[in-house]
Amino acid sequence: MAEADSVKALSGLLNGIAQKAYYGNSDITEDLLKSEIYPDMSQEEFHALHEKMRGVLKSIATADMDQTQLEAFLTAQTCKQGGGGVSSEQAAALGRFWKAHRMRIRESLLAQSRWEPGLRSVNWRVDLQTASSRGSTSSTPVALVELELGRNRQDSEFVCLEFDELKVNQVLKKMAEIQESIDSIVHHS
Amino acid sequence: MSSTHIKTTGSTMADNVGFLAGRIPAEIEVMYKDLKDLDKELFRKILKVVVNAVEGKDCSGAMVEIAQSSPLSDEKFSRIVSGMYALLKEALRLPSSSLKQEGFKEELRELRISEEFIADFASVVFGNRRSALDAVFTQQGPRLPSLEEFRWRVDVAISTSSLARALQPSVLMQFKLSDGYSCRFEVPVSKFHELRYNVALILKEMNDLEKRSILKIQD
Repeated sequence: MAEADSVKALSGLLNGIAQKAYYGNSDITEDLLKSEIYPDMSQEEFHALHEKMRGVLKSIATADMDQTQLEAFLTAQTCKQGGGGVSSEQAAALGRFWKAHRMRIRESLLAQSRWEPGLRSVNWRVDLQTASSRGSTSSTPVALVELELGRNRQDSEFVCLEFDELKVNQVLKKMAEIQESIDSIVHHS
Repeated sequence: MSSTHIKTTGSTMADNVGFLAGRIPAEIEVMYKDLKDLDKELFRKILKVVVNAVEGKDCSGAMVEIAQSSPLSDEKFSRIVSGMYALLKEALRLPSSSLKQEGFKEELRELRISEEFIADFASVVFGNRRSALDAVFTQQGPRLPSLEEFRWRVDVAISTSSLARALQPSVLMQFKLSDGYSCRFEVPVSKFHELRYNVALILKEMNDLEKRSILKIQD
């Protein structure tokens, strides 16, 4: 296999592993990766390579390594004697891959330990009520807010609410309190 | 009837739309006959109960009591109650800013209702109970649930099964709605910023809207 091809194949393998392990793409299987990327490799050889890359990637992802940690880790891996280590070519591919995927993988791992539904989006509209069947045309503004909530990889649930100005003000004040609370944590750590 | 009505209030039409506006419900139109010889005390008693009914309270007990103790026939009593009810409903549909007291009284005079009863009707429509009545109507109108309770907590995930050092703050929010529904959800910090920005934007829009005099709809 030419060097360029080998680099490309490795990067494809890492992507495939990430799709399966971190991005929830269950269509990707070990067999599929073998037939698509390494058709000429023997089954045992591919399995060993796949397991090694999966393991190394897991170590990197679990520790959420930064650039310095990654370099130290990969150097140690390449220096390993025997079959346990990685080649410098593989180390380079892992380095490139992690640089591109770190944030996304971290997000995905965080999401794996989140059980409450999360806020996905907020949509709102401000209306002016002008008339109604019961009368009362006070023409005060009303805010209609839709919150889209959903658990990881599940369908969304929508919550619709109505706010008058006073209520919006109250919520905004609570938000300021929450912000202060977040700031105190972020600044102290 | 309706044509004469429009003609007589025509001079003030530009700034004062009549609350019956040319279509007088039959029960209001015929009410004067039954009111003619009605005792004033009895009128007030009935009016009070009808106002309660307009507010959506259950008044069947009070109604039966009055009906049984009054000398009125059942038919006459029913006509008076439904006439009063229809009249108040029509009058209260218009905001107090666009229905003028004089115009209202004039319209009732057109309907041949006596002055002392007109004063009582006017005190309901223009008196100090009006804001309470409006508040009830706003409550009864079709609306989405509102936020009754908002609780929150800021957590920092230190370590998880898949991440050795997560150190990720997140906000857990719990909403209780006026229809009894409650929901709990997690808001990552980035989403929290988005939410806070949007709430501030809503408030600004509402403030702007109130400042724009062009949208102060009055007729």
